[in-house]
Amino acid sequence: MAKLSGLQRDVLALYRQCLRAARAKPAETRKNFEDFTRKEFREHIHLNKKDFSTIEYMLRRGNRQLEIYADPGITNISR
Amino acid sequence: MFRNAILRSARAASRAAPRFQTPIARPAARSSLFQSKQIIPAASFQSVRCYSAPAGLSKDEVEGRILDLLKNFDKVSDASKLSASSHFSNDLGLDSLDTVEVVMAIEEEFSIEIPDKEADAIHSIDKAVSYILSQPDAH
Amino acid sequence: MASTRALARLATRRTAVPAVWTRSFASVEPASPSRSTISETKTSTVKEPAPQKDAKIKTFHVYRWNPDEPTSKPRMQSYTLDLNKTGPMMLDALIRIKNETDPTLTFRRSCREGICGSCAMNIDGVNTLACLCRIPTDTTKESRIYPLPHTYVVKDLVPDLTNFYKQYRSIKPYLQRDTPPPDGRENRQSKAERKKLDGLYECILCACCSTSCPSYWWNQEEYLGPAVLLQSYRWIADSRDERTAERKDALNNSMSLYRCHTIMNCSRTCPKGLNPGLAIAEIKKSMAFT
Repeated sequence: MAKLSGLQRDVLALYRQCLRAARAKPAETRKNFEDFTRKEFREHIHLNKKDFSTIEYMLRRGNRQLEIYADPGITNISR
Repeated sequence: MFRNAILRSARAASRAAPRFQTPIARPAARSSLFQSKQIIPAASFQSVRCYSAPAGLSKDEVEGRILDLLKNFDKVSDASKLSASSHFSNDLGLDSLDTVEVVMAIEEEFSIEIPDKEADAIHSIDKAVSYILSQPDAH
Repeated sequence: MASTRALARLATRRTAVPAVWTRSFASVEPASPSRSTISETKTSTVKEPAPQKDAKIKTFHVYRWNPDEPTSKPRMQSYTLDLNKTGPMMLDALIRIKNETDPTLTFRRSCREGICGSCAMNIDGVNTLACLCRIPTDTTKESRIYPLPHTYVVKDLVPDLTNFYKQYRSIKPYLQRDTPPPDGRENRQSKAERKKLDGLYECILCACCSTSCPSYWWNQEEYLGPAVLLQSYRWIADSRDERTAERKDALNNSMSLYRCHTIMNCSRTCPKGLNPGLAIAEIKKSMAFT
């Protein structure tokens, strides 16, 4: 694999964090969280890797969403 | 590349020798030993296996479990290319997000947590195998 | 009452000072340096519907950015309004644009009288509350409206103040004491003690001052910024609070407080006429003499 840029590694780290957070969810809804994570990331997979400002914005938004959805009070997510 | 391999095997050999006398001394860079497994002679390979034995995981078992895991991963484009040396993106057609998922599935399979930095460096099956073998907590 | 006093102060300040001077501080850069805007010359202008003969047409350039199209660049959109049909304040103009010409324009507003702090934005280069900022009647001058500088933009004129609120929370903005009041009812204060809180309690946390401070621009994560420090001082100065020492201790590091280099943009820009710079100086002074 080509060497990843710092920003790309940040994106992968966020992806990993999201999937980790999904593990903490109830077994029966965990898949919904994982599918949601996949969908959110796949949707923007075609962003130009040089479009830093957009990627940074998406990262901020993603971190924000993660913070909200990681709350143990949230037990399911619909697609 | 070739020179590196020679160097590595030489280093491995020199490391392997004293270990026969003092099996307790744990070298810090264990994973580099495992990467050179094809080159070093069978005797020292045996010592490597002894070494990981307390965790109860053999290389074959780890490899088998990782291969099984990948067989069930629907993103693998060509299952016939699955082998102990397959590269996630070059051979199996996985992108970086899929690779993250594979590594996380491996984490769960062996009940360990792989730190980001090491996880980013795993992009082939043999790398994953050697990483797992280097983890005393993996089971 | 407090707000009318602030208004009066504001009015005298605005008239006594030449326009050039008012415009010389808290200069705007595009919300983030990596994101330059498409200038208004390259975007269309939304015109006042059916202007009258003696109309006083004024142009407003407004910063627009839509998060639903994250790859698109922010742009400056121009709107023209007839001032005869518009209220006197900038917020009236924005509301009129939203109601009558472009419902997609997004901004925060609530009380429209300078008490809620929602409509803080950068108008003609000055951080202020849109509801307290008069529209300059000179129609030859065009007005430019940006979100608060150096904040992440949620949409159009809506800044992301998450970090600001987190910092506010970090200073524990509430009364902390262990001893119950002697009469078992209220924590009493003398008139002199209460007077110390004047000029502090009026702060509405609109973030105008913090986002005008260059120190805060560069160290948002660690420097608390004028608004939060003013609030911090409000609790340090409170005679009823029993954690003064802990509060000062928490500020005693190189970043939280001492990134204030007395640039004083905060005190100049405060739409309520408060003086955060002075509050910060008071904290520094009290820390120096203990």
